[in-house]
Amino acid sequence: MSKSENIDNTSNELIFGSANPNAIEVKDLRKTYTGKKIIKEVKAVDGISFSINKGEIFGLLGPNGAGKTTIINILCGLINQTEGDAFVGGYDVKKDLSKIKELIGVCPQQAAIYQYLNAKENIELFGNLYLVKKEEINKRMKGFLDLLGLSEASNRKAKKYSGGMLRQLNLIIALISDPPILFLDEPTVGMDPRVRRTTWKFINSLKETNKTIVLTTHYIEEAEALCDRVAIIDYGKLVAIGPPKELIEKHDCKNLEEVFLKITGRRILEGI
Amino acid sequence: MKRQRILALMKIQYKSLIGVPTTLFIMLLLPIALTIIFGLAFGSVIMEDTGQSVFEFLVPGLFALSGLFMIIPVASSFSEDREKGLLKRINTTPTTAGEFMGSHLLSNMSMAILQVAIIGILVFIMGYRSEGAIAGIFLAFVFMVIYSLSSIGLGLITATIAKNAKAAAGIAWIFILPQQMLASGLYPLPDSTRAISMFMPLHYASDALTLLFDGIALSDFRIWVDLIVLIFFSLVIVSAGILLFKKYGKV
Repeated sequence: MSKSENIDNTSNELIFGSANPNAIEVKDLRKTYTGKKIIKEVKAVDGISFSINKGEIFGLLGPNGAGKTTIINILCGLINQTEGDAFVGGYDVKKDLSKIKELIGVCPQQAAIYQYLNAKENIELFGNLYLVKKEEINKRMKGFLDLLGLSEASNRKAKKYSGGMLRQLNLIIALISDPPILFLDEPTVGMDPRVRRTTWKFINSLKETNKTIVLTTHYIEEAEALCDRVAIIDYGKLVAIGPPKELIEKHDCKNLEEVFLKITGRRILEGI
Repeated sequence: MKRQRILALMKIQYKSLIGVPTTLFIMLLLPIALTIIFGLAFGSVIMEDTGQSVFEFLVPGLFALSGLFMIIPVASSFSEDREKGLLKRINTTPTTAGEFMGSHLLSNMSMAILQVAIIGILVFIMGYRSEGAIAGIFLAFVFMVIYSLSSIGLGLITATIAKNAKAAAGIAWIFILPQQMLASGLYPLPDSTRAISMFMPLHYASDALTLLFDGIALSDFRIWVDLIVLIFFSLVIVSAGILLFKKYGKV
């Protein structure tokens, strides 16, 4: 069986909320955290608007604390926005969260895994939470474990896994419901270069299944290799958006990392 | 409410009995150890006023104590799952709060039954014979299951306050010690001190178990008063625990 054949691309038939061609739409999104002591107000997301097409891999780039995870958390319904609108699969995050939760898979920044369970038990649990049939869970699980090379270790307790293996398991769990929309929050952080490359290949292969993927990463080369379009966020504001190639040409740089540094590093270089 | 989700979550909680040493110790090993130690130490020490052994006097309290200690694993598991981002992750799935909390309540209540059964067998092996009828013993199970609800509630309140699992295990003693000292029935106390325990759910569970094991008739109103007050306390505490954890638990 070829690697691409391992992924079932026919079951991705969950119904979107509207005929809108966008999988995700964000309009003037704002999130303000109110502090109690010295810092009175922090604008984590400050009036961001963008849309993501169905089947697109969209990268959210930005320095630490730029607001990437906050945007993902709003889109997943983990936190509420202060102002603005956000739609996932055509559904409003404020009104139709239960419908959105059926459409999305989330690979959080922290490898959220039950350490006393083995890989299979962890995957099975989340499959059950999405009401996936047992046979389907087993079929998908086998495919993903084979693709990422975790099959041999699948009966081992997660607490005995290396950091890279936990990250891969974290990713498989996000995919077990075969969601049409996938949020990957720094999925390869802490992986060694070899495992990272395997994971990139894996994420790339998901393109064939027409999934919409929102990816945040600190590895700019990862975004350049995987994403159809990227948005660069700094201090909660959208500072650039477009296909990596276009951004490189527009800013007259050699690669996306230079673009990123040119845009987000300006304040550092200017001593602000 | 989807059965598939509730069963899957319950299965994980049962697996934590074997997989998480703290849970295994507090839920099973500690009650077993206490029963054996008290049985061996006080099984042949006879109380002059009643003619029963000190161990026989302590048995209802031992049952009650096992339910009380449940606060620790409940608080620790919620705190740990929160620390590891698991509660957040489950929150991104279609699982409802009712299904999630329902699975925890059901699994912990069934663990309370398991505890009672194990201690029941142990005390029987160690020579204790309840004077209660079968229906009375069955009612004792009911009391302990209802009492476990209050322990789950206090566990959730502890997890709300605690920053991490280790802190939760320590903070839990704020709720355990007063109930253990004043309401477990393990220690002879003056009436004035015992009166404070009337505000603790364990008082009613321990009182009812003592009455039931002494073979009191089920028509005795004291048992039913204990049951009603215990249900009231348990529902209030578990509801408060769920609400507080949901609002301030930083999930």
